[in-house]
Amino acid sequence: MPPTETKPAKKTGVKVPHTMTERLLILLSRYREASIAVVAIVLVIYFQFGSDGGFLSPQFMSVVLRDTGRLGLIAAAEVMLMITGEIDLSLSAIFSIAPYVMALLSVTYGVPLAVGALIGVLIGILVGAINGIITVRFKVPSLITTVGMLFFLQGIVVSIYNSQPIVAPVEQPFNAIFGQSLYQPSDALLSWHGITAFTPFLWAAVLVLVLALVLNRTTFGLHTIATGSNIIGAREIGVRTDRMKIYNFMIAGGFAAFAGIINTAQFTSADPQAGSPFLTPQAIAAAVIGGTSLLGGSGTVIGALIGAFVVASLNNGLVMIGAQATVSDIYLGAAIIAAMILSIQVDRLRTRRRV
Amino acid sequence: MNTQDIPPLSKDSPVVLEMSNISKSFGAVTALVDVSIKLRQGEVLALVGDNGAGKSTLIKILSGFHQPDTGTIVSQGKEVRFASPRDARAQGIETVYQDLALIGDLSVFHNMFLGREYHKRFLGLNLLDNRKMREQAQLYLDTLGISIPSVNSTVDLLSGGQRQCIAVARSIYSSPKILVLDEPLAALGVRESAHVLGLIQNLRQQRQVSVILIVHNYNQIFEVCDRINFLHSGEVALDASTADTSEEELIRIVKSGLGRKAIDAAAAEVRPGLV
Ligand SMILES: Nc1ncnc2c1ncn2[C@@H]1O[C@H](COP(=O)(O)OP(=O)(O)OP(=O)(O)O)[C@@H](O)[C@H]1O
Ligand SMILES: [Mg+2]
Repeated sequence: MPPTETKPAKKTGVKVPHTMTERLLILLSRYREASIAVVAIVLVIYFQFGSDGGFLSPQFMSVVLRDTGRLGLIAAAEVMLMITGEIDLSLSAIFSIAPYVMALLSVTYGVPLAVGALIGVLIGILVGAINGIITVRFKVPSLITTVGMLFFLQGIVVSIYNSQPIVAPVEQPFNAIFGQSLYQPSDALLSWHGITAFTPFLWAAVLVLVLALVLNRTTFGLHTIATGSNIIGAREIGVRTDRMKIYNFMIAGGFAAFAGIINTAQFTSADPQAGSPFLTPQAIAAAVIGGTSLLGGSGTVIGALIGAFVVASLNNGLVMIGAQATVSDIYLGAAIIAAMILSIQVDRLRTRRRV
Repeated sequence: MNTQDIPPLSKDSPVVLEMSNISKSFGAVTALVDVSIKLRQGEVLALVGDNGAGKSTLIKILSGFHQPDTGTIVSQGKEVRFASPRDARAQGIETVYQDLALIGDLSVFHNMFLGREYHKRFLGLNLLDNRKMREQAQLYLDTLGISIPSVNSTVDLLSGGQRQCIAVARSIYSSPKILVLDEPLAALGVRESAHVLGLIQNLRQQRQVSVILIVHNYNQIFEVCDRINFLHSGEVALDASTADTSEEELIRIVKSGLGRKAIDAAAAEVRPGLV
């Protein structure tokens, strides 16, 4: 019965005012990105002073933002999965294998890089689909499914060519579009060479914004949140929760593959070990630092990109202001644990409201 | 509104739904054995039974959430097979589940429109029309006289009764042909219960929507229902019209329910030929 047919009745019931806790929660959940952005800015100021102005130099920023880009793509993909209540630990292996296949096809069969890149991304999507189907159909926890996939893929990629990195050719316009070179001290920021050093970050920013649009403004995003927030309820109301999970695994695989490809484009080399074992944990840390719940149902991809910037800044900045690389890991580890504890606290407040 | 205000359901009102010989087991647990129910156009049917009798299981089969082991469902004269709740909803069968099926992390208005979102085109993309959904949700809740702090607040932040009202409102919104309510009054206060019963009574008066109502309170059953089906250990033990039965009789039959024989005996004693 459409509302226009019946005449409006008087409102009954009293408006229930929000308590302080609820207000704080609403504020925190509404401005998650802003909260983490504040952390990022404080960090930048700290490093900028600590390094006598070196931190915000174009050359150093090109390194931090390059790391931010590849980490941010994987973190944002991880956010989509974490919202559905799943996780993918095989993304670092996809990050390695996709560009490796691209470079291998190029040097052995002369396949254009653009075609190889497409194949690489499709491989990532396919691996994601397999992860998703195993997780959903056989009810294997994704933590287990994807650890298995991690070793499986890593094993394949190192045995293809004896663990040797492959030098990828430079092709235009492929490299101009997807990544060309690192920033040289001699470059001017506003030169062609200066700008293309930031290509990986720009790609990440654009793709993360697209993902944010999908998450917040489409039925797909709504159903992704529904799946992770209340999977039984979502199913009861007709959300295809299994499909939502599989699709998000596919997105994650595609994103990781693409991140690997722009990484290789920039370094003009495909290293079978490019996706270090730390890559996925760092991406998950970036996601949580950025305000994504470990319990599912809630997350922000833009927060994840800013979280990736925080992690990349810590990684590079601490070394820059004179800390030993090993010491910087201690700080990073502590920051991750603190972020996880905070995240759980927020979740506890959030879920306490559930009857 | 009083029961007397509503004329009895006409005898030749067509059967809109027939579930026949439905059985369902979960592993070793047998939830339903050979259950058959019939629902007429415009009828309000009460489904009663002890905890664990299989009421929710039966309506989850109707809503497409579970698939029956055996048995058939005939809706509007056609045999139907629901592979998922989407299928049932597409056929005009709306369900308020006992657990409400609300998404805590989504706003009230997103919950109202989950699965049938409004869209608008933007740069060739199919984006959610949040403004329209927000307005429609607000308008509709006002129409039903349901008051909540804001349609923007996430369902998490609402009280149990408010959530139940949202779930009921959502199910009525799409003008269903068959409305299934699994304990829709469980968390409601006295006034809110009366309000929701009033909504059901409205539907009953118009005789457009057929309703299956699961309630434990017999007062309420006699207020708004035309017929009662008593489910006992997975079987329909009694099928009686509320006009022919009194509350006391029903309570006696239900309380005797230690076995099918005892129920039959009690029913025969109360009113020969009832079963
Ligand atoms: N998904 C399931 N898996 C296993 N057993 C189930 C499942 N759903 C229901 N059951 C069992 O089926 C039986 C009937 O349960 P059902 O929920 O239909 O009862 P009910 O009549 O709705 O009870 P209540 O009045 O408490 O809501 C119970 O024994 C229950 O344990
Ligand atoms: Mg039940």
